[in-house]
Amino acid sequence: MSQQNIFYPGALEEKGGRLVQMGNKCRDCGKTFYPAVELCPFCSSEQVEKVPLSPVGTLFSFSVTRVPVGRFKPPIIGGYIDLPEGTRLFGQIRADLKDVRIGMRVKVETGVLWTEKDGMEVLGYYYVPCEAEGGGAE
Amino acid sequence: MSKVGIIGVGQSKFVRAYPGSIREMVFESFKEAMGDAKMKEKDIDATIVCSAPEYDKQRSPSGVFAEYLGLNPQPTFYAESLCSSSTTGLRLAYSLVKSGLHDAVMVLGFQKMSEISAAESQERMGRGADIQWEAPFGTMMPAYYAMFARGHMAKYGTTPDDLALVRLKASKYAVFNDRAMIRKELTMDAFTAPNPLGNILSSPLRVGDCCSNADGSSCLIVASEKKAKEFSEKPVWIKGLGSASASVNMAGREVFYSLPAATEAARQAYAMAGMKPDDIDVAEVHDCFTIAEVLAYESLGFAKPGEGPALIRAKETYKEGKIPVNVDGGLLSKGHPIGATGGSQVRTIVLQLRGEAGDMQVKDPSIGLVHNVGGVGLYANVTILGRE
Ligand SMILES: [Zn+2]
Repeated sequence: MSQQNIFYPGALEEKGGRLVQMGNKCRDCGKTFYPAVELCPFCSSEQVEKVPLSPVGTLFSFSVTRVPVGRFKPPIIGGYIDLPEGTRLFGQIRADLKDVRIGMRVKVETGVLWTEKDGMEVLGYYYVPCEAEGGGAE
Repeated sequence: MSKVGIIGVGQSKFVRAYPGSIREMVFESFKEAMGDAKMKEKDIDATIVCSAPEYDKQRSPSGVFAEYLGLNPQPTFYAESLCSSSTTGLRLAYSLVKSGLHDAVMVLGFQKMSEISAAESQERMGRGADIQWEAPFGTMMPAYYAMFARGHMAKYGTTPDDLALVRLKASKYAVFNDRAMIRKELTMDAFTAPNPLGNILSSPLRVGDCCSNADGSSCLIVASEKKAKEFSEKPVWIKGLGSASASVNMAGREVFYSLPAATEAARQAYAMAGMKPDDIDVAEVHDCFTIAEVLAYESLGFAKPGEGPALIRAKETYKEGKIPVNVDGGLLSKGHPIGATGGSQVRTIVLQLRGEAGDMQVKDPSIGLVHNVGGVGLYANVTILGRE
């Protein structure tokens, strides 16, 4: 089996046999945010705890890059996803180009983002369309 | 209150690959600015060197330039804010002079982007964005501005051809600018595939919507009122300065149809100068992408939010229009040597206010404005200059 590594330690945690995106929830103001920084960006409280993020969100904006960028081959669909808990994050959208539009519902998947030259698989998250499914927080 | 003036401006020709060293490249703008100010090396009290260090092979270039240009033993140091580095240098120079610490401060901007490969430069540019939470997913500058173009289109109905009009204007005036890299007037046909400028780079932006990497340098000499009057017959005065920042990670931005740091910097500059958008006679804005110029119209109050495209459609930002913008070819045609860009914009406005802009000259301007942005609105500086 090849070696695997998460693109940023702690961004994903294993829960029930699969990798789940983790944010921080503030015990004082109740807001959830990603990335999981130590200080609540809304109220500066240090009373924060790791929580799984909602798997379904809304595509806020995106672009389709038609030239290679680093290790990625075109077309590269990158976009910002708004989660129901009120945080926004960036990721790739893996979908048919014609299906991608602002405001669409997308669902997170976790898996291999790229493979390093030495065979190391780098794990992370990306989004896929999920129009048919009901969304929202877990 | 004593004033602070700009008494010398210089710019090297912006080129794809400068054949000499960074010292020689910087010497070109240095020599022009020193000749312009009629100053000798001993007259310069301090030098601020500006660039984006990720492109530089030379570490700590300030010392290298001071030695080469004969500026020892005066102090020399470095300022960086990505693409807005040299107007950040100008802001520092203003405060050094205004405080009375120095009488004459040089702002030396440079970038030799050809020192590294295009692929390497693209990757390094991406690292100007958030390397932890965005760059791992394959981002680059055009992709970010593309999202702002898409945001503006979704909110206001802006079209790709509205954006192309900005590039057509830039190309028209670059023909008159002997320092510009791309000096060919374009028509809308250039934006139609299979012409290379018509190819999508990062949708909805086409290749023609994007500026090009370049090598080049710029030099400004900032002086106290007393020194300015002693050396210069036509000093140009710094009337207003604004500077602001926004989150690096775009997830922290509320909307994708405006750059709040630029709007805030403009508000500060207008307040300091006691002026409003109508008072500006000529402007240089940071058109790293066509959409960026449209966003600038709206940040600076030349157009109401959403009405930037109408301004360019009506040709109001042409030389004969209500508010001429980038009539030197802008970044789109001049090229964008990161650390040199802001100084080049300031040079154009200084020449305009002195009536020395040649074929680019706007009719009798007395107030000019420079809008210089770093990253995707991560840093923004707005500077208002005047003849009086
Ligand atoms: Zn909180």
